Amino acid sequence: MTQSRAAWYFAWALLAPAIIYVLVIVAWPLVETVRLSFTDASLRKTVNYVGWENYTRIFDRDFAEIILRTFSWTFFSVLLKMVIGMFGAVLLNCAVPGRNLFRILTMPPWIVPMAIGIFMWGWMYNGQFGMISGLLQRFGFVDGPVAFLAYGNTAYWATIVTDVWIGVPMVTIYFLAAIQAIPRDLYEAAWTDGASRWYRFRRITVPLMAPAIITMSMLSLIATFNSFDIIWILTQGGPSGSTTTMIIDTYQTAIGSKKYGQGAARAVVICIFLSLFCLAYFRMTRKLSRQEKV
Amino acid sequence: MTTPVQKSLIGAMLASATALPAFAQDISWIYCGDKIDPVHEQYIAEWEAANEGWTVTPEVVGWAQCQDKATTLAVAGSPVAMAYVGSRTLKEFALNELIVPVPMSEEEQAEYYPNIVDTVTFQGTQWGVPIAFSTKALYWNKDIFEEAGLDPETPPETWEETIDFARQITENTDYAGYGLPAKTMDNTMHQFLHWVYTNNGQIIDADGNIVMDSPEVLAALQAYQDITPYSVEGATAYEQNEMRAIFLDGTVGMIQTSVGAAFLLEDTDIDWGVADLPLGPDAEGPGTLLITDSLAIFDGSGVEDKAIEFAKFITSPEVQEAYEAGGAASLTPLRPGRAVDDMLAAGPYWQPFIDGIEFGGPEPLFTDYRGFQNVMIEMVQSVVTGAAEPEEALSEAAAELEEYK
Repeated sequence: MTQSRAAWYFAWALLAPAIIYVLVIVAWPLVETVRLSFTDASLRKTVNYVGWENYTRIFDRDFAEIILRTFSWTFFSVLLKMVIGMFGAVLLNCAVPGRNLFRILTMPPWIVPMAIGIFMWGWMYNGQFGMISGLLQRFGFVDGPVAFLAYGNTAYWATIVTDVWIGVPMVTIYFLAAIQAIPRDLYEAAWTDGASRWYRFRRITVPLMAPAIITMSMLSLIATFNSFDIIWILTQGGPSGSTTTMIIDTYQTAIGSKKYGQGAARAVVICIFLSLFCLAYFRMTRKLSRQEKV
Repeated sequence: MTTPVQKSLIGAMLASATALPAFAQDISWIYCGDKIDPVHEQYIAEWEAANEGWTVTPEVVGWAQCQDKATTLAVAGSPVAMAYVGSRTLKEFALNELIVPVPMSEEEQAEYYPNIVDTVTFQGTQWGVPIAFSTKALYWNKDIFEEAGLDPETPPETWEETIDFARQITENTDYAGYGLPAKTMDNTMHQFLHWVYTNNGQIIDADGNIVMDSPEVLAALQAYQDITPYSVEGATAYEQNEMRAIFLDGTVGMIQTSVGAAFLLEDTDIDWGVADLPLGPDAEGPGTLLITDSLAIFDGSGVEDKAIEFAKFITSPEVQEAYEAGGAASLTPLRPGRAVDDMLAAGPYWQPFIDGIEFGGPEPLFTDYRGFQNVMIEMVQSVVTGAAEPEEALSEAAAELEEYK
């Protein structure tokens, strides 16, 4: 055996565990889901191929509404996370006494097990026992109890607020790291030239943080688009479907109604959207890295 | 060196040793809950002792995952022998050939309270053995009644009175008159079915026809609309147990729930009463939704006959009485008998939960139960939130149900 062939075998031997892992954990379930999406798989023991029927069935008016709702829910949630995360990062970067303590205090939403955090919000939204309704009544903003999860509009925003609460710490810490990587002398030079705090933020902080903002936005977009736990625990997609997003609808179809074929078709549609997001993310990061090299 | 005799002996020993596990056959049982009830543990041991070579292996699975696990295993072709399931799913399982029938003799059927066997019957045969049973009654807070100017000892007997009492409570006190749960949860549908069955209504008939779009059911939906303004604000945010918590907090005048609330109320300062569910204008007598859970025997486990034998044993009157009197004390008894008489004498609050059985109705059996449930929840929520009028919501829901029957 030549040395180059031995090296080739050795390289494949090293790659083999990763390849097997990807094939078993990612590729096979994905292929199986796509296959299932073309069948009428359900509780029945027989499975028939039904062509594109599952796909044509899901693009009815209801599903179009669900897609729109998913996008709007994701948009507002990611936007709020980015804005609040940036604001928090700038504040935590300020030279104030006890800065480290404040940094630690941003972490609990991220550290607390997600389900516990969501249940806590569920109680806060409760009209009878909840803190928010109680405070609003005490300060005279409302006459009686307000059950935030009872109405379509309030339930929609309540789930977004909870998602933002859970997601903001990670964004804040990531942005803080990015801010700290900006050379101090740029700020000092701008300050010497008389630039205001807002001007320095706009012309130094934001442009130099662009790669971090784009990266975090895309990662947050992918995670938020697929967010299941928050909506499921708080509202199960209700009332009257007002918080049903694509992932909730997929779960209800595949697991709730045991329509595995239709559920798989929905999952494939989600997968396509997420793949597009990933593609956009890779293109943006490639573009940014090219700009940095220039 | 070994002789042929020694070799034969060693061979026989090895053969018998490897054959031993084959003699012990096992009945796997998906058991819903947090732990096995001590009564069941005791009787499993007793059954195993009487059936040499057979073991029963319960696997405790939380309520939320229990049914999905049993279903998934069955669909994947590796079913458990027996599982604890909601009887409402039996038709779906039966039509998909996932479970085997568990026929009951006439004597066995006669042991149960009326209508119980209907909850597990489809196409003239039984598909499960009832193991748990729940009925509902009306609880009222006497202190709130008094504060509202109502007689604290007189609960409402009709829907009309219920709505009127709820109105008086809402108008004359700081409390809500009624606790109407309408969250996106199965018990929103269950609660509505209590109203349907206290007005002689029906969702699907014995021949599988959707008969929901009827004056009786419309009256129930209309009553829902009428009582909403006097109910806890934001009905669609609360499910049954959350509404019970509000009642236990002493801030709502009336709720409909199971006997479990009576046990919890004993630990509070609330002066409460419990009565038959109020009746609608077309009622023939006290009614309630009859919810049962059953032991279903899955097809393909290879031990179906023995599993049926065990299921009947573990739900036999003696075992069931002990079970209902012990850890499962919040269940309504499945069969009448001396134990029930003693229970009624010791706790008169049990009476309304028994009264409703005679005119009660089962959870309707659908081929897609979850689809049915979603339609019913959507119908109730649309009326409670004011998004639809009862007539319109009922007609639309009845039409949609055709897909799931």
